[in-house]
Amino acid sequence: MKPPPFEYVAAHSVEEALDVLVTHGWDAKVLAGGQSLIPTLNFRLAAPAILVDLNPVSELAFIEANGMLRIGAMTRQRTLERDETIARLAPLITAAMPHVAHPQIRTRGTIGGSLAHCDPAAELPAVCLALDATLVARSQRGERAIPARDFFFGLFSTALEPDELLTEIRIPPMPPNTRYAFREVARRHGDFALAGVALTLQLDEAGRIRAPRVALFGVHDAALLSESAMRLLDGAAPSEALVREAAEAVAHDIEPSSDIHASAAYRTHLAKVLTARALRDALGDALGHATE
Amino acid sequence: MRAIGSSLSRVGAVEKVTGRARYPGDLNKPGQLYMKILFAGRPHARIVDIDLTAAKQVPGVVAILTAEDVPVNEYGLIIYDQPVLCGDVVRCVADQVACVIAETEEAAIEARDKIRVVYEDLPILTDPIAAMHPDAFVIHPERGESNLLCHYKIRNGDVEAAFAEADVIVEGVYHTPFQEHAYLQPEAGLAWLDGDQVVVNVAGQWMHEDRQQIAHALGWPEERVRVEYSAIGGAFGGREDMSVQIVLALAAIETGRPVKIVWTREESIIGHHKRHPMTIRTRWAATYSGRLLGVEAEVIADAGAYAYTSTKVLGNAHLCVTGPYEWPAAKVDSYAVYTNNIPTGAFRGFGAPQGHFAAEMQMNKLAARLGLDPVVLRLKNCLREGSQLTTRAHMPPGVSLPHVIEAAAEGAGWKRPDGSFQKPTLPPSDAPHIKRGIGFACAMKNVGFSFGFVDECWAQVELHGGGEIEEVVVRCAGADVGQGAHTVFCQMAAEAVGVPVERVRLVAAHTDETPGSSGSSSASRMTFYAGNAIRGAAMRALKLWHDEIRPAVGTYRYRPRATTPFHPETGEADPNVSYGFVAEVAEVEVDTELGFVHITRVMCADDVGKAINPRLIEGQIEGGVVQAAGYTVLEHFQVRNGEVLTRHLSTYLIPTVYDIPDRVESIILEYPDPQGPWGARGMAEMPFIPLAPAVASAVYDATGIWFDELPLTPDKVVATLHASQSTDQHE
Repeated sequence: MKPPPFEYVAAHSVEEALDVLVTHGWDAKVLAGGQSLIPTLNFRLAAPAILVDLNPVSELAFIEANGMLRIGAMTRQRTLERDETIARLAPLITAAMPHVAHPQIRTRGTIGGSLAHCDPAAELPAVCLALDATLVARSQRGERAIPARDFFFGLFSTALEPDELLTEIRIPPMPPNTRYAFREVARRHGDFALAGVALTLQLDEAGRIRAPRVALFGVHDAALLSESAMRLLDGAAPSEALVREAAEAVAHDIEPSSDIHASAAYRTHLAKVLTARALRDALGDALGHATE
Repeated sequence: MRAIGSSLSRVGAVEKVTGRARYPGDLNKPGQLYMKILFAGRPHARIVDIDLTAAKQVPGVVAILTAEDVPVNEYGLIIYDQPVLCGDVVRCVADQVACVIAETEEAAIEARDKIRVVYEDLPILTDPIAAMHPDAFVIHPERGESNLLCHYKIRNGDVEAAFAEADVIVEGVYHTPFQEHAYLQPEAGLAWLDGDQVVVNVAGQWMHEDRQQIAHALGWPEERVRVEYSAIGGAFGGREDMSVQIVLALAAIETGRPVKIVWTREESIIGHHKRHPMTIRTRWAATYSGRLLGVEAEVIADAGAYAYTSTKVLGNAHLCVTGPYEWPAAKVDSYAVYTNNIPTGAFRGFGAPQGHFAAEMQMNKLAARLGLDPVVLRLKNCLREGSQLTTRAHMPPGVSLPHVIEAAAEGAGWKRPDGSFQKPTLPPSDAPHIKRGIGFACAMKNVGFSFGFVDECWAQVELHGGGEIEEVVVRCAGADVGQGAHTVFCQMAAEAVGVPVERVRLVAAHTDETPGSSGSSSASRMTFYAGNAIRGAAMRALKLWHDEIRPAVGTYRYRPRATTPFHPETGEADPNVSYGFVAEVAEVEVDTELGFVHITRVMCADDVGKAINPRLIEGQIEGGVVQAAGYTVLEHFQVRNGEVLTRHLSTYLIPTVYDIPDRVESIILEYPDPQGPWGARGMAEMPFIPLAPAVASAVYDATGIWFDELPLTPDKVVATLHASQSTDQHE
């Protein structure tokens, strides 16, 4: 199918894009990589009056590391996947990227597009939650920094106001002894996840888990942190029993939906299994050999 | 270099990969109109009123066709049980109710959506077993007093005595699902008038049958209909029946202008038939030593709302449900039943995959039960030269099945140096939740049409030149649906005439160029039938050439010996002319926590008689295995109350290159078929057939659980494994 008619503006700067947004509000849609928006238009599931194309805005495509890792919203997903700075400072992103659709899609798709679109099965929102990222939004009213945990509201719904543009993602440096893991399951390689988990945790000098961040996706109306699992893990000594208990606990926090690909019950089952696997990946040797 | 036996590049390959090949949807003519079809979208309803007023007012609308515009409003490959356009009752969501022809596609869409049809919904039957109930309402009252489309029997030998005498009895109930063909190219076509002819350019499988069906509905003589085939983007049986052919012809005649139609993927998924879901109950009786004594089976196939080729598909399942084995006694009842589901029909394997799923699972269960090796058990019981079928006919000469079984076993490391057979042991996975397993299955399938159908193929060979043959023109209408038929036609013609293949030119574009029918590109028959026809025509042409006649033109109509239908009470029949044989070994990894079945390796031994083009054969084997892998573990066509829930390729998932088996190894065997051209047999369906039971048996090997219902989706696998664990705990 073809999209419904729309007006098109190619923005060459953030200011130009913000001008359009402030004028048109909800009637405008931002075009980043277009990998979700264009199919949505072609299926006529959305009919925005005007599209603001950010692709010419070169100032939004950057990766900078200066204490804080800063990623421009228009950075392509393929770039995230291959960038050495990211592999060094935020290897969870590197681990997650091959699961995001297919190379052709990642070549066009952007980090900001995925976060602002907020598909419940998308990987990058969960990765941002696990990394405790901050999302920077700009409007003509100014700039505000939104912690990832306050950004993803629900199905295709975020903290962004209609006049705001997501410009940058800031990721704090990982303390030493930080562990991470990423796991997901899809019916086919590259499809939206049936369930997935991205997590980080630290091990203190006594070998106890500190600051666990267990983010789940595909099993709720948006990516979310499993507070129940995190409470159990925080301060606990790693053990197989703890892994299983934490994995069971994620079920308290999620409300998966049933659809043509999987039932809610199966998604819950997957969330538990994947959480356990991701925790084992992250804890690795810290789990010891005596546990089983 | 000999013309046959060489992996010559496929005719049209460069055009296809460079985008220059023209598929029906690429064709345009000046002044053309566009057509959209209004589908019923409801499974069973009476049409109370069709109001076209608003639709006709849409600017650009030229004509709207309804049932009253169809001169002879019926079609069907085997039975004329389907209206071209429904006027009184719709019986499934895929029924076509009206066609809008407009100056633009957008106008046609807008007008289609403004047609107001008032329906009175009727009760629906979507379960074939419920539809067989004597009290069930009748979906086609004009066709009799029940929903039974057909019932075949086999009564051969004393089955009761066999079960009384049996040391072991193995029973099972098997369920197989719908499957969508999902060819790359959705249905499309262009029709126009040329003098007193209507020309329909489409992608089909049998242009002379398309012509017959169109002419019948128009009430025209066949000579006034010309069917042309452009490049065809896959078929797999899905283009055997009519889709856009008849309505395109009607539209061109009605408007006097060229009319084009291109179906969307959603229209394609709704608009053509699917593979038959079947429920199969079966019991096998055997001795401790592994000798088969007797079999009982009941096959119930959901035919959907119209017959399509259901009677023939059911016939194949009827024959295959007892497997490629010798049986002293057999009692089989098979039923195809009308329902209000989307119609079902031809799909690669044509009833053989369903029948063999039950038979080969039974065979592996019997082996497990007896503690015998499944290869040994098969070799003990399989059809061989001179064997009798359950229909009492003797197998046609050239039964290579024992060799095929051995070759697959040997290729998979199943045969030991001392010549004995033992299932290879796979190294265990490092991950405790990954279980590995290996499974075996084999199959047979007819090549060419069956059960009394008069199957034939026409070809003509013209030899041009003076002292030497400079050009060979071959006329043979057989459709190249992507399998490479046209390439092997040229190779076989070159071989028969004795010239390099570059001197051969094939003419196969439309019905007027090829007055004789070549039959359908289905039933794995094209190489076998066209090869015999082309060789026959070449021999005649060569004789004339030697008599100094220029050009020397030979025509030949290949018609093999006649077959016979099932006897209504005993099932006695000589069902087929020729068979293909195949055996497969599948290795899987089952993630017992997530439920995913990953096929790591498939070894396929396929007897092709003579490999005319080995690379094309490997393509057929790999393609067949991949398609069957989708059928077995991934594809899940979902229907609820007659409505199709999986209408897009985002919901009906077919394997991508990332999801296919890790390795597919082809073992091409060449045991000649005495009737085949240069010994060649049909082969293209065979690799599909045994994969599902081989994989399900490998899953049993890995987990100790028999999965008797396809597909093996992960949620089902997890639920079943969990249920079995909790049962174990209770015991």
